[in-house]
Amino acid sequence: MSFTITCPICGERDVYEFHFGGRDRGPPPSHDNLTIEEYLRYAQFRTTRTEAQLEWWFHSNGCGSWFTTWRNPANNREEKPQEMSNDQQ
Amino acid sequence: MRARLPEFPTQHIDRGQEISFSYLGKRMSGLGGDSVAVAMYDNGVRIFSRSLKYHRPRGLYSLDGESANTLMNIDGIPNENAEKRRLRDGMEVSAQNVRGRPDTDFYSFINWFDRFMPAGFYYRMFHRPYKLWPFFLNRIRKMAGVGTLDIHREFDDSRRFEIFLNADVAVIGGGTAGMNAALAAAGQGLRVCLFEHRAWLGGHMDWRVVEFEDEPLFERARGLAKQVEANTQIRLFTQAPVTGIWGNKLITAYQTGKDGEYFDERYIECRAKSVVVASGCIERPLVCNNNERPGVMQVNTAWRLARTYAITPGKRIVFSIGDDLGLEAALDLAELGLKVLAVADARSDKQNADLLTRLQSAGIEYLPGWAASNVKGGKHVRGVELSELNGSQTCSFKCDLLVASAGQQAVIGPLSTAGAKFRYCTETGLFQPTEMPPKMFSAGRMTGLTHPGSIDTSGTIAGLEAAAACDRDVSTNLDAARRAAAKLPGETKGCDLVYGPGIGAGRKAFICFDGDGTFKNAVQSASQGFDAPELAKRFGGFGLGPGQYQVPGQNLAMAMSNINGTPIENSQFTTVRPPLVPLTLATCVGPRHNIYKQTPLHRDQKARGGIFRNAGVWRRARYFSPDLDCRPEIRNVRENVGLLDGSSLGNFRIYGPDALRALQRVYVSNMEKSREGRCKYSAMCNETGNIVDDGVVTKVADDNYYFTTTSNRAGITIEWFRYHTRFDDWDFKLVNLTDSMGSINVAGPNARNLLQKVTKEDLSNEAFPYMAYKELIVGDGVSARCLRLGFVGELSFELHVAASHSQYVWDLLWEAGQEFKVHPFGMEAQNCLRAEKGHVIVGTESEQRVTLLDIGLGFLWDSNDTSSNKVGAPALRACENQQGRMKLVGFRVSESGVTPLDGDIVVDGNDIVGYVCTTRISESLDCSYGMALVKDGYATRGEKIRMCQALGKRHDEYTATVVPPQFYDPDGQRLRT
Ligand SMILES: [Zn+2]
Repeated sequence: MSFTITCPICGERDVYEFHFGGRDRGPPPSHDNLTIEEYLRYAQFRTTRTEAQLEWWFHSNGCGSWFTTWRNPANNREEKPQEMSNDQQ
Repeated sequence: MRARLPEFPTQHIDRGQEISFSYLGKRMSGLGGDSVAVAMYDNGVRIFSRSLKYHRPRGLYSLDGESANTLMNIDGIPNENAEKRRLRDGMEVSAQNVRGRPDTDFYSFINWFDRFMPAGFYYRMFHRPYKLWPFFLNRIRKMAGVGTLDIHREFDDSRRFEIFLNADVAVIGGGTAGMNAALAAAGQGLRVCLFEHRAWLGGHMDWRVVEFEDEPLFERARGLAKQVEANTQIRLFTQAPVTGIWGNKLITAYQTGKDGEYFDERYIECRAKSVVVASGCIERPLVCNNNERPGVMQVNTAWRLARTYAITPGKRIVFSIGDDLGLEAALDLAELGLKVLAVADARSDKQNADLLTRLQSAGIEYLPGWAASNVKGGKHVRGVELSELNGSQTCSFKCDLLVASAGQQAVIGPLSTAGAKFRYCTETGLFQPTEMPPKMFSAGRMTGLTHPGSIDTSGTIAGLEAAAACDRDVSTNLDAARRAAAKLPGETKGCDLVYGPGIGAGRKAFICFDGDGTFKNAVQSASQGFDAPELAKRFGGFGLGPGQYQVPGQNLAMAMSNINGTPIENSQFTTVRPPLVPLTLATCVGPRHNIYKQTPLHRDQKARGGIFRNAGVWRRARYFSPDLDCRPEIRNVRENVGLLDGSSLGNFRIYGPDALRALQRVYVSNMEKSREGRCKYSAMCNETGNIVDDGVVTKVADDNYYFTTTSNRAGITIEWFRYHTRFDDWDFKLVNLTDSMGSINVAGPNARNLLQKVTKEDLSNEAFPYMAYKELIVGDGVSARCLRLGFVGELSFELHVAASHSQYVWDLLWEAGQEFKVHPFGMEAQNCLRAEKGHVIVGTESEQRVTLLDIGLGFLWDSNDTSSNKVGAPALRACENQQGRMKLVGFRVSESGVTPLDGDIVVDGNDIVGYVCTTRISESLDCSYGMALVKDGYATRGEKIRMCQALGKRHDEYTATVVPPQFYDPDGQRLRT
C-alpha cells in the first residue's frame, strides 16, 4: 500500500492520507419493502475486480471530502477502463 | 596494520586517523575511511566466517555486502555486514556461526559430509518418523546459527530517525550516469533526490586511472561529483542504499550517518514524480570448483583494496575474468607493483586491443578462451588450475589470490521491485529492462554500456526524459543528447560463461554462498522436478540469504537454463524481494513516536497529581490516587462532588436545512424528538447493526443542532455523516468542535450546590431537570453549554466551554468547591462509577459481533422508521428475534473481595461461552461485579456462570450470578434529584 490518490481539491497525495470507501455501487437500497437477502447483498457482498473501477475515497488527513476516482486494484494505478480512455481520445 | 601502498588520489582513507578496534578480543588498528572488513583484511584476517551448511571457511569476496561471508557481530549487534560498516574507534568485532574461531571451527568436519546433504536435504531427511523432526530441528538450528541476539543489551534508539521526501525526480545510483541524470533534471529547475549506497559518488569510475578525453576516469567522476554536491537543486544521500521502489514511484531507503552526524541510521521514504534508475552492475561470480575459498575475490574487490584503501590484496595473483574491466584491473595492479602471474579470459574475441597490447608488454601471461577450473588450498588459496574452456588444456599456478569473475550482471533490484520486466540479452550478457513502469527511466552500465562517454550521455538522456515526465519541455536538449549518443559506442559484448571448465559434478562449485547452494544442488533440483529457477531456489537453497539477487542471482537463472537445455534468453531470474539490502527493524521503526493530543487542562491535571495514560489519540489523566484502585476518588463522587476533565469528548455542530435529515440517517432514534433545552441520548450503528457510537443531541435552534460523540469516534464522525449522505445532495454543514472546546464534568450529590455558586442561572431540579440543556453564564461572563447528564450515576453537570476558557472555568469551580473539599477524578474512577451504574462504553461492552439490541440499547431504535434509511436498521430488524446471539449481562461474583480481570473468559466445561467486558471490586456495593458478553443461553437472570483467565498461568476460577447490569441505584433516583 504505497500508491497515490488524486483528490479533486488537493491533488495527488499519498494514499495514507485517505480512507477507502469501497467501489461505487450507487446509492444504498431503500429500506421500504427491503428483503434481508437484498440488504445483505448490499451490506456484505463485495466483488473482487482486477480492472479499473470507480471508487469512493475520503481525504481524511486533508480537505475532508468524499469523492470518486478510477483506480485499477490490480496495479494500484489511477486509470480509467480501457474502453473509457479510448472514448476520450 | 601493515604498511599501506603509497598515497594516491583515488584513495578514500585518512592516514592521519588511526582507529583501534578489536576482533575476537585481539587489538587491531585501521585507518579513517576503512570499512570493518577492509581493516580486518589489512590486519591479516582471511577467514571471516563459516558457511551455513557445510561450515566451509569464507573470506572477503566483495566490498559492498553482496553475500553473507562477512556478517559479523559488531558491538553486540549480530549480522552486521562488515563490508558496509565503517570502522569506528573502539569497535568490538566477533565472528558468527562458529564454535570457537572461524579459522579453527569445530564443525568444519561437516564439509566432508556434503554428499549426505543433497539439495532439499532438510525437507527430505529427519521427517520420518515425523515425531523426530522437532529434535533434529533443534540440533540443526544450533549448528546453523545466523547470529545471536543479546536480549539484555541496552539499545539506544534515540539516534534513529525517519524522513519523508517529495521529489520531482529521484535518481538511484550515484555513478556517472546517475550524476549526469541528476544534473540534467536539476538543470530544468526540478528538485532532485540522488541516492548512492557508497559513501562517495562515482560508481565504478571512482578507482579507475585510465584516461578518457585526456583525464583519468576517477578525476572526471570527482569533477562531476563536485558539481552534484554544489547543485542546490539536488539533495544528495550517500551511504543510503535503496531498499525498494513501491507503487507510483515511492522509494524507500535508509542512510547510515557519517561521523558526527545527528543520526546513526535514518529511514527514508521519497515520493517522486519520475525516477531514473542507474544502479549499475556488480560482478557475476565465476562458478568453478572451490570458487569461494578464502583468497578468491571479485575483480573490484582486489582492485579497490589497492586503489581505494591502499592495501595489497595478495602477493601472487592470478586473474580469471570475463570482460575488459578485468583486463584493466590486472594491468593496474601490475602497474602498482603487484605480482600478476596470469590472466585467463573467458572470452575469445571482442577484447579491447589496446589493453591486450599493454598486457603483453607488461609480461603477463594471457590466456583467451580460458577460465579457472579449480581453486586449490585448504583454508586459503594455495594455487589455481586454469583450463581451456573446451577442457583440452590445463595449467596450474601457485598463488595466494585468485581474482575471479564471469563478467558483469545488472543490479536489477530497484527496477525489479518497481515492476519492470527484464529479459536476458545475449549480446550484453545482462538481464536488461524491456518494459519500464510509467515515468521511470534507466541509464548507465545496467543498460549494457561500458564506454564512459556513452554512460554519461545515457544519464543525461534519462535525466531529461525524467524532466519531460515532470512536464518540462526539454525537446531541444533531448534531441542534442540523443544525437550525441548516436555517435558514441553502444552496448558492449558481454560474457556468457555459465560455469568454469571441468566443473564435473560441481560438488564444491558454489552458485550461492549464503545457503551453500552448489552447481550439483542445481542439477539435483532439476532432476527432482524443481527445474525452474523459482523452484530450485527453494529446493536447493539459492538466493535465500542476504546476497539474494546479487551473488546467486543471474548465475542461478543461467545454470538452470543450461541444465534444462532451454534457451537462455527465455530464462528468468527469481523474484527480487524488498528490502533489497538488509536493514535492522529498529531502523524501519525509526524514532518511537508517542504522539497524542493534550486537553486544555493537561498541565493543570498534571499539577494536581494526575497519572496519565494514552487513550485513543489523547493523553488523559487516568488516576489521581496512588493505589490505582481510586477508592478516594470514587467515594468522593458518590458522597460529595468531583471534577473530571472530559475534554476528549467529541463535540459537533450540525446546521442547515437538511441537518435533521442527516441526523435521522445516522442515529437510530427518532431525532425529530430532539427538542430545545433537552438532551436526547441516542446511538449510531454501522450497516450490520453494530453500535459504533453513542452520545447526546440537543436542538439549539431550527436546523441547528449540537451533539456529542465518544472520544474515539470524534475523528471519524464527519467522514461517517458525509459517507452515509453522499448520494443525497443534502444541504447541511458539520463542524468538529472537539479540539476547540473543553469539557468539565461536575458530579456528585453536591454538584448543584457547587455549580450554583458560579452562576446566577436557576439550577434547581424543577428549572433544570435531568437530561436538560442550558447555556449558562459562569463567573465573569464566560458562556458554557451545560448538559445535565448522569454517566457516573450521580447528579452531574457537564460544562462545555471554549478551550481557552477551560482553565478559567476549572479554577472557578475548584475555588467554589473548596467548602465541599472538591477532588478531581480520572478516567479509572469514571470507568468504575459508570460500570456500577451499568452504563456501557462503546467498544468495551460492545464489539463487532453484537448489535445495539444485544447490549440492551434496543429501546433507542425507532424500528417503525423505514423512510429515513437509518444506517443499520435492516440488519437490526433481521436479528431482532434471532436465537444464539451474544448478550450483555451483569454479574455478581460469588467470592468476596476478589474479581476476575477484564477480558477473562466465561466457560462452561471446556467451552468458551463469553468473556468479561469490565469487572471491578465495588466501592459502593458489598460485592465484586461486572458486565460480560455471553451466549444467550447463559444470559438468563439467576444463571450461574464460571470465569477464568484466557491465557497465562493463573488458574483462578470465579463463579458469578447473572443479574441485570444496573448495580447501583437501579431506579436512577440519584441522578434525577
Ligand atoms: Zn483533499
